[in-house]
Amino acid sequence: MKIISMDVMSTGVIAYYVLIASRGGLFTPIISNAKNVTYADPVPQAVILTAIVIGFSIQALMLVGVMKLSRDNPTLESNEIEKNNTP
Amino acid sequence: MSTITIAWIALPLFFGFVIYLLPKLDKYLALCVAFASAGYALQLFVAQSPLTLQLLDNFGVILTVDQLSGYFILTNALVTAAVILYCWQSDKTAFFYAQLIILHGSVNAAFACADLISLYVALEVSGIAAFLLIAYPRTDRSIWVALRYLFISNVAMLFYLVGAVLVYQAHHTFSFAGLRVAPPEALALIFLGLLTKGGVFVSGLWLPLTHSESETPVSAMLSGVVVKAGVYPLVRCALMVEEIDPIVRIFGVGTALLGVFYAVFEKDTKRMLAFSTVSQLGWILVAPEVGGFYALAHGLVKSALFLIVGSLPSRDFKELQQKQINTTLWIALVVASLSISGFPFLVGFGAKMLTLKNLTPAYAIAMNVAAVGTAILFAKFIFLPRGGQTAAKPGFWPAVLLLLGGLIAANAFYVEAYTLENMLKAIAIIGVGWLAYFLIFQRTAIKLPRMLEQFDHLVGFMSLISLLLFWMALPK
Repeated sequence: MKIISMDVMSTGVIAYYVLIASRGGLFTPIISNAKNVTYADPVPQAVILTAIVIGFSIQALMLVGVMKLSRDNPTLESNEIEKNNTP
Repeated sequence: MSTITIAWIALPLFFGFVIYLLPKLDKYLALCVAFASAGYALQLFVAQSPLTLQLLDNFGVILTVDQLSGYFILTNALVTAAVILYCWQSDKTAFFYAQLIILHGSVNAAFACADLISLYVALEVSGIAAFLLIAYPRTDRSIWVALRYLFISNVAMLFYLVGAVLVYQAHHTFSFAGLRVAPPEALALIFLGLLTKGGVFVSGLWLPLTHSESETPVSAMLSGVVVKAGVYPLVRCALMVEEIDPIVRIFGVGTALLGVFYAVFEKDTKRMLAFSTVSQLGWILVAPEVGGFYALAHGLVKSALFLIVGSLPSRDFKELQQKQINTTLWIALVVASLSISGFPFLVGFGAKMLTLKNLTPAYAIAMNVAAVGTAILFAKFIFLPRGGQTAAKPGFWPAVLLLLGGLIAANAFYVEAYTLENMLKAIAIIGVGWLAYFLIFQRTAIKLPRMLEQFDHLVGFMSLISLLLFWMALPK
């Protein structure tokens, strides 16, 4: 559950980047015949692409970890897991 | 020169993957990378002049290497080499070495870059590699600790990303210099990310459990270098943008005192070392001009201490006082403990004196209290009974000798510390600490609650710290 909520957070951050990028305009910044249209800023989009990939890989890793944990803690309550695993 | 820098950043990542292809050569390749980094760092000291690379125009990657990063890189190289030597005869698989070297490379990259996005990438990669190393034993506990670590660091980095885009909006680049014109909320969010990642102040309370529950070589690596990847950007920002400098210093003092306070009451050796890491990070932050030297001193001594403590028969101080430990092991322990308490002829002394010299009087008083606290902590180690016969693991001595040799050799960086006044001051601090240990702390048995280290509270504290930071960053 917490991992899913973390994913929601990262989606929020991505959406924010896209919002910032599109403040200048909505057109895709690709060379074309159209003249003087307001382009979206490509830099934040390029940057957030990296963050999406990293976020995705972290998500996958954490889910694998949770799968391992679920063998002994089928309910996956994080409070219970924490209680069993802190000295 | 710039080609060498880029090649040096790429080398560990490349070798990390080569280790997968040639698993037989794992240790040798890993050791090569560590020595390459050490050579590169020494070359930075010889070159003297800072080097700034700007790749791909204004929006691209900016790298800055100078003496400050030289200290951090040297720490990273020596600690990695020691950890590899320590694991030389163990049955660790190629996977372990590959992750170790990727961790080394990503931390190196964090020490070299000067823009927010490459820093983000470097920190995230180091987070993933550290996750895999912590989870290496694949027990339930290690997986839980690793998950907790990755969760906290990833949430912190999400805050950081929001801060980064706010800087971009204000300055139209991602360089650190953009922080000068950035709005206070951007500053607060970025600092929150870095403080949490670096394990500083209350937002760093995830650190003790993570560092104490990992395997010995992994905790040496985490405590010695990985937390410094979060601290280095703070130091760098404080040097580049003077408005940030007071904030960083206040956090430094707070962290130093908080860490010592928790550590004094700790009954478990590894947890105590982890809390002491928190307090030592404060020492690095409190004087950003000379933070690099302190980072070197701390990285070497803390990884040596973790390796030594990993060879002690027990983790509980009470049990250790009943048992006798091997005399040679005890000598190594004493050398490391004296260095971290700031005893002359070891590098901890030079680092402490240099830091204290760069402080205003008000801060200096607080830091002297922290220094006495450190002396109390390590008195616990120095006055353990000796004479036992437990032999250390093979591979232990080369690693520890490398680190202890580094402790003595690194004195050369700051020879001017050796004045009579400074020496007397250092011995007085240690004397007061030991006296306090014998009179008070040897007998106390207060157990501090660990409530603040619970998972939910860690995330909650992050938002509290962000409010605090926002308030501090508001223009007065």
